Amino acid sequence: MRTKRITPEERERAFKSLRKPDVEEKQRLHVRYHVEDFDVNDRPRRFLEAFAAILKHSNYRMALEHFIRMSAKCSRCAVSCQVYQATGDLKDIPCYRSELLLSVYRRHFTYGGMLKGRLLGDPGLTDEKIQEMAESFWNCTACRRCSIDCPSGIDHGLITHLGRYILSEIGIAPRALVVSTREQLEGATGNTSAIPVPALTDTLEFLEEDMLEEKQVEIKFPIDVEGSEYVFFPAVSDFLMEAETLMGIAAVFTATGDSWTTGTGYFDGINYGLFYSDRMLERIVKKIDAETRRLKGKKVLIGECGHASRSAKYFLPTYCGGKDAYPVINIMEYTYEVFKNGRLKLDPNIVTEKVAYHDPCNIARQGWIIDKPREILKAFCKNYVEMTPSGSNNICCGGGGGTVSIDEIRPYRTTIGGKLKADQIRRSGCHYLVAPCANCKKQLRELVEDQKIPVEVVGLHDLIYKAIIFDDSLKVKKIPAEAGTGEEGK
Amino acid sequence: MEHLLEFARGPLFRLSFALMVLGLLRILALDLFELYRAYRQAGDKTVPWGKTTLKALEWLVPIRKVFVNRPVYSVFSILFHIGLLLVPIFLYAHVKLWQDDLGLPWLTLSYKWAYGLTLLTIITGLALIVGRIANRTSSFLSRKQDYLWPIALLIPFVTGFICAHLGVGPKAYQALMLIHILAGELIFVLMPFTKIAHCVLMPLSQYVAAVAWKFPPDTDDKVCTTLNKKGEPV
Repeated sequence: MRTKRITPEERERAFKSLRKPDVEEKQRLHVRYHVEDFDVNDRPRRFLEAFAAILKHSNYRMALEHFIRMSAKCSRCAVSCQVYQATGDLKDIPCYRSELLLSVYRRHFTYGGMLKGRLLGDPGLTDEKIQEMAESFWNCTACRRCSIDCPSGIDHGLITHLGRYILSEIGIAPRALVVSTREQLEGATGNTSAIPVPALTDTLEFLEEDMLEEKQVEIKFPIDVEGSEYVFFPAVSDFLMEAETLMGIAAVFTATGDSWTTGTGYFDGINYGLFYSDRMLERIVKKIDAETRRLKGKKVLIGECGHASRSAKYFLPTYCGGKDAYPVINIMEYTYEVFKNGRLKLDPNIVTEKVAYHDPCNIARQGWIIDKPREILKAFCKNYVEMTPSGSNNICCGGGGGTVSIDEIRPYRTTIGGKLKADQIRRSGCHYLVAPCANCKKQLRELVEDQKIPVEVVGLHDLIYKAIIFDDSLKVKKIPAEAGTGEEGK
Repeated sequence: MEHLLEFARGPLFRLSFALMVLGLLRILALDLFELYRAYRQAGDKTVPWGKTTLKALEWLVPIRKVFVNRPVYSVFSILFHIGLLLVPIFLYAHVKLWQDDLGLPWLTLSYKWAYGLTLLTIITGLALIVGRIANRTSSFLSRKQDYLWPIALLIPFVTGFICAHLGVGPKAYQALMLIHILAGELIFVLMPFTKIAHCVLMPLSQYVAAVAWKFPPDTDDKVCTTLNKKGEPV
């Protein structure tokens, strides 16, 4: 797969994002995204202290010890990296990015490095290097495609993850992520979109009225129902931006009759901790566990969101009881099961336009959910097309690793990060691009808008909502007067 | 010269070989121990062992990976490694050295195979060096050792090839043989301390990457305590 590199004009546009000169001036940190206020004094010492503390209480040392002996600098990762393929900037090669942190580890945390440093008079970590890391680690979309192709087995995604974690401990983290996480963990609303509970319940009621009118079926969003099989945690932004996805999910549950609920105590699947801090990752995961426990639910159900699914699936067992933790499933797994069992019927004559499926990195890279959504789509979309490469070797939307939430770098995301994806979408010629992930949807919509590609980005359940067939027994004979129109319901 | 040769072939060889074996065993044992410890303290112990083993095997015999990414480099690299492994271990002249003492049965390469494989290793090794210099991305990433290692590895091959297959005078033969042995011994000694350690660590890479994502529980509290950040707002 070859791609045309970006032009110098595009490069200038991509990096000319909304810089904040006053912040740069104050913090001496020239990054394209706005970082939280932090103390600039003695940064290298504080970085090393944070690094040491993290190494002491984590498993990263094992990986770093192994990786420093393995790296062969073969540059195969350059071929698989979408950012490098777009920019051609050698500093965007994943192996180079990893080496930034590996060299600090080698110099300061190995005997050989310390000895060599003293003998050769190497001053060690400098402020300039921290500056470079601060910029470099956020150029990466953390899609981990490079790790598939490393002969030495080096997981560059893990190293970027660790690098961001250490930087965040000395206050270098994108403001957008920190502010959202602060609201989620310490704010009055307890979620990243700052939606108060009354606004949530109003929204859901409004959607219920809409669905009754459209489908003539009483489709409900159960709230705070104790003892439900599934406790539902979508990316909370779905309540504001992805009504169709939520309606599709509610419609599926109405068709099957299985019990599910949304909790008013906590209803946010988003976990930005996965992108910048393991400490936040742990705290947020524990909120999911607490809410499921409060509602006496049996399983955690994550909506259409890649990073929310991965952070719950892989880290709920980590932080909340190992094999005794609540089982986590993604909504696509549930829908696939009920579809396979014949409990969900879809009309194959509704969606006739060309449909393509985009794999969110966080659920496809490790081979978790790849074929299931495709099987559903192929069953009711007459005109399904595959984009290649796909599955565990997919190309990232360009907004992965939390970068999609940083509005200051939108030009970077849509010119560089998502360039390969844009080429791929254009080649597919699809009308509907199915992206079952809140982050991917936002990024892809901005991408197709900026790159002027005539595509409608939707969720899997958006299309399911269009095509779902309900049993006649579920149809209401007369729509209640107050639910006549959505406007009245408001 | 003969004394020197005898010394290099005898005690020096045994010392360097022992250093290599012990050094490699040490890092392998440490790696395994760290892997085990990481697994023990992980909150989630559901590591996909089967899938990880398949991935590890896929990279140890990377036939499926060759044409996916940088095919020319990959083919040369695989051929280089084949020669690098087979020739020193199965060359008749090498086997004879320890077989006389130990009397162990050992497969040996025929003359033709030894000739071909040695030549293949030299050619692919040189190609890899040239490729590293010529390739924009590789040359940018490369450290000194990335250039020095292929050269160091080729010295015993080139000198051995000249001695075995090209007619040289007895003095030149002895000098070349001394270089051949000393270069080999230098490689032995340096192996555990450099990237060549991948010869024993390679099979563990996929397991390390899989277990590394399995974090220990309750690190938030511990890291906060260590960094004196307890009670600090987000």
